[in-house]
Amino acid sequence: MKTIKLKKESVQLVKDVLKDIKASPDLGIYKCVQCGMCTSVCPGARQTEYDPRDMIRRVLEDDETVIDDDNIWNCFSCYTCNSVCPSGNNASEINQILRQMSIDKGEGMKKIVSFAAYGDSFMELGVGSIPNNFFDVMVKDVGPGYMDLKINIEDIRADLGLGSYILPENAIDEVESILDNSGFKDRLEKIKRCK
Amino acid sequence: MNQDSSKDISNKDLKIGVFLCRCGGNISDTVDMEKLRSSVDAEVVEEFENLCSINGRKIIRDSIIQKNLDRIVVAACSPITHEKTFQKYINPLNPYLLEMANLREQCSWVNPDVETATEKAISLVNASIEKVKYAQPLDPVLRKTTKSAAVIGGGISGISASLSLARQGIKTCLIEEQPTIGGAMVKVGKLFSPEKLAEECAMCLLNPLVNEAVEHKNIRIMTNTTLKSAERRSGNFHLLIESKPRKVIEDRCISCGKCAEVCPVEVKDSWNEDMTFRKAIYKPFAQAVPDVYTIDLEKCKNCGKCQEVCRMNAIDLDMEGEVVPMTVGSVVIATGHKTFDMAKRPEYSYGRHDDIVTQMELARIMGVNGPTQGKLLKPSNNKVPERVVMVQCVGSRDEKPGGRKYCSKVCCMVAIKHANVIKQHYPDTDVIICYTDMRTPGMYEKYFKYAQSNGVRLIRGRPGEIAEKDGIFLVRLEDTLSREPLEIEADLVVLSTAMEPSDGTINVSGLLDVGLTEELFVKEKHSKIKPVATEVDGVYVCGTAQGPKDITDSIVQANAAAAKISELINGGVELEPFVASIDQSKCNLCKKCIDICKYKAAYIQDGMLTVDPISCTGCGACIWECENNAIEIMGQTDEQIIATIDGMLKDKKPEENRIIAFLDSVGYVSADNIGINKISVPSSVRIIKIPSMNRIMPKHILHAFKMGADGIIMGEYPYNPMYSRTKEKIAGLKEELVKNNINPDRLAFYKVYIPYFRGLANKFKEFDGEITCLEKG
Repeated sequence: MKTIKLKKESVQLVKDVLKDIKASPDLGIYKCVQCGMCTSVCPGARQTEYDPRDMIRRVLEDDETVIDDDNIWNCFSCYTCNSVCPSGNNASEINQILRQMSIDKGEGMKKIVSFAAYGDSFMELGVGSIPNNFFDVMVKDVGPGYMDLKINIEDIRADLGLGSYILPENAIDEVESILDNSGFKDRLEKIKRCK
Repeated sequence: MNQDSSKDISNKDLKIGVFLCRCGGNISDTVDMEKLRSSVDAEVVEEFENLCSINGRKIIRDSIIQKNLDRIVVAACSPITHEKTFQKYINPLNPYLLEMANLREQCSWVNPDVETATEKAISLVNASIEKVKYAQPLDPVLRKTTKSAAVIGGGISGISASLSLARQGIKTCLIEEQPTIGGAMVKVGKLFSPEKLAEECAMCLLNPLVNEAVEHKNIRIMTNTTLKSAERRSGNFHLLIESKPRKVIEDRCISCGKCAEVCPVEVKDSWNEDMTFRKAIYKPFAQAVPDVYTIDLEKCKNCGKCQEVCRMNAIDLDMEGEVVPMTVGSVVIATGHKTFDMAKRPEYSYGRHDDIVTQMELARIMGVNGPTQGKLLKPSNNKVPERVVMVQCVGSRDEKPGGRKYCSKVCCMVAIKHANVIKQHYPDTDVIICYTDMRTPGMYEKYFKYAQSNGVRLIRGRPGEIAEKDGIFLVRLEDTLSREPLEIEADLVVLSTAMEPSDGTINVSGLLDVGLTEELFVKEKHSKIKPVATEVDGVYVCGTAQGPKDITDSIVQANAAAAKISELINGGVELEPFVASIDQSKCNLCKKCIDICKYKAAYIQDGMLTVDPISCTGCGACIWECENNAIEIMGQTDEQIIATIDGMLKDKKPEENRIIAFLDSVGYVSADNIGINKISVPSSVRIIKIPSMNRIMPKHILHAFKMGADGIIMGEYPYNPMYSRTKEKIAGLKEELVKNNINPDRLAFYKVYIPYFRGLANKFKEFDGEITCLEKG
């Protein structure tokens, strides 16, 4: 049986969440009444064991194991939970804060390794673009037209009167310099080492 | 007015009598009475053991008569304790020619040292002597109210209030915007009864009340009418009431209905929540009061067919509306509510499917005079539903844009009521209520249990969307108790929509200048101790215009509002005359005082600025705005404030510190509490009672510093309507000090509360310490 002890226990997790730089100033986690409206509209909850309402409960009850729970990685960040929440709370924002906590602990690194190629594209092209290693999945999802689009993108853009989407060399250098000096590059390398 | 008001003598010639009370040692044990007596400069100085006793009265009265005294100072306990007593004791003088020096609570009890206590006592008596020289004979303000009232809104609240007023002999006009009275109560059909565990017929309960209202000689019912304008004049209201033309002559119409038969115009019937049609000439429902037909001005095509068939010659298509003036003593706002606009929550698919309805629509469907004559049939196909799912908190307890943060209070009971009715008549129909919390306090809990025993099912979870697949609704929620995302299949979905203030509530409040809450319901003066009173004296509120509530609570409020009006009429109210007074020769009608006054006490009448003494608190905020110095506060004139300050600072020794403490009435009581609890206060503190810190102006502060004050502290209770002004003022006063080369740290402000007297005592000590430091430099 769980006991809420008389001796004041620290409830640190919710405070850490609210202190996080990503937390909105009016984040209403304390106002949650566990009505489950977030879960009722969550596509992640429909397909997996992810339950945003329960995630919020665990944060409020100082259950730190929620950070290590694989289920928090099943949120699509679609923000529907946020758009329906009647209590001014934002489950997707809290999800992202918990994920960052997991990444900071090290465990979460493994979950984002596969996205590292996105970071590379920023370094190489100066913009975020779908990395090559996702092409197979995209073809499966979107259909063979996806590769046609990829290959002929410059011609299609020219037909539409749009310029090249490849940034000029000096712009790419500048972006890279910013990413390097801001620590992005080091962080990316660190993530890649978790493979 | 007393006879001495006509005496024209200068302040110097006034004969002042000072009466010192030993208070059975409470004062004389600490204050050196001999020294005090010899230090007081007055025509008569008397000392007595217990001045408040009957013997004390004799001493005071005899002195007044024998020595022909003009003004009286009683140096005794706090005026809070005995001012009323001594005001009576100084008869034949006017009661307002008395000043009290608070030697007990604010001197002997907080100042154990004899020497400093005596010094303080001398200055407190001096301050009272100086102030009383400027006292004017005044009469208390008596509020008298015309024995009549207007009740705006003809729902159950308005009808109940009108009946209570009428039964107490008060002429009452009941003003209703719709062509019939009855409001929401006639539409709901059934009412829950937690005592009987049953549902009662709304119409059967309401009809006797409506009939009594119709018959009552003191009630005039005006339907099809709205409030157009309102002006308040010294306790009365001048209203303009606008009537829409009914185009049917009420006295002639026999309600035969032939006109509606021939009318070619079909209109959605709002009385049935737009689920049926009526004609452009109509009577909302069979038992409507008044029992006459009305023409829908927006929809009527003026074809004249109704006129042709009317054998009573009752239809007048050229009838015009009229505006009627009316003067009443009081007004009741009973303008009711409306329900949440479902367009704001598209996720519930309302409006896209006929079988997603609101609780009010379900009430009409199940009403015997509704579209299906009381049968529970789905609007789409007229079949009995297999499963009804009710969604609670739609728009209530909702912080999303357009949502209502409050709980609408009645929806749990309404849902249970409808669920019970369905279960009784259609036991095979499954009823599920999706709830966040079931709120059924008091006896209502019994009715809730009764629903459970009837087989009504409850699932705890708030649905996020309602989808439709192959003609079946899918209500999506999480069963939060079993922790399972859930889809409930349903063929009738009922939404328990929030209660919102009606447009009429907002409009009427604007016309009457009554304050609204954040949610735009009518704001009560104080929800605990002044319920049903609004910010405007003489205007009361009841029913859902004040906030979400059920019929029981609405009737209770209606009766309370009527009782309050009766109090004003029968008892009248006697108030202290310390209010703003206008020098008409100086007033240029700039209206700045009207704009600033949150008590709405000032207005212009017959080209003259007028102050309603009932509403004015004498706070003095208006004086700051008046460029021509046309305003004075009776009992707190500039002369009186300056004189009090002078008295408090008289004979100050060079090494001594004196701090003036201006306290409002709350702060003054708090300071008395310091004394009652025998907590010591620095001997430097001299307290002056002021209605509001808004009364204190730079000239008063600068004068006090000029006369030798070392520090000034101002204490005000923060929950008064003018407090925001006070805060601005304090900043302004500090700037003024800087301009005059006075350290602004010598002026302090403190929020006072009656129970938190220890905080005030600490603040006095702290400030005294700071001032001592400044003196040492």
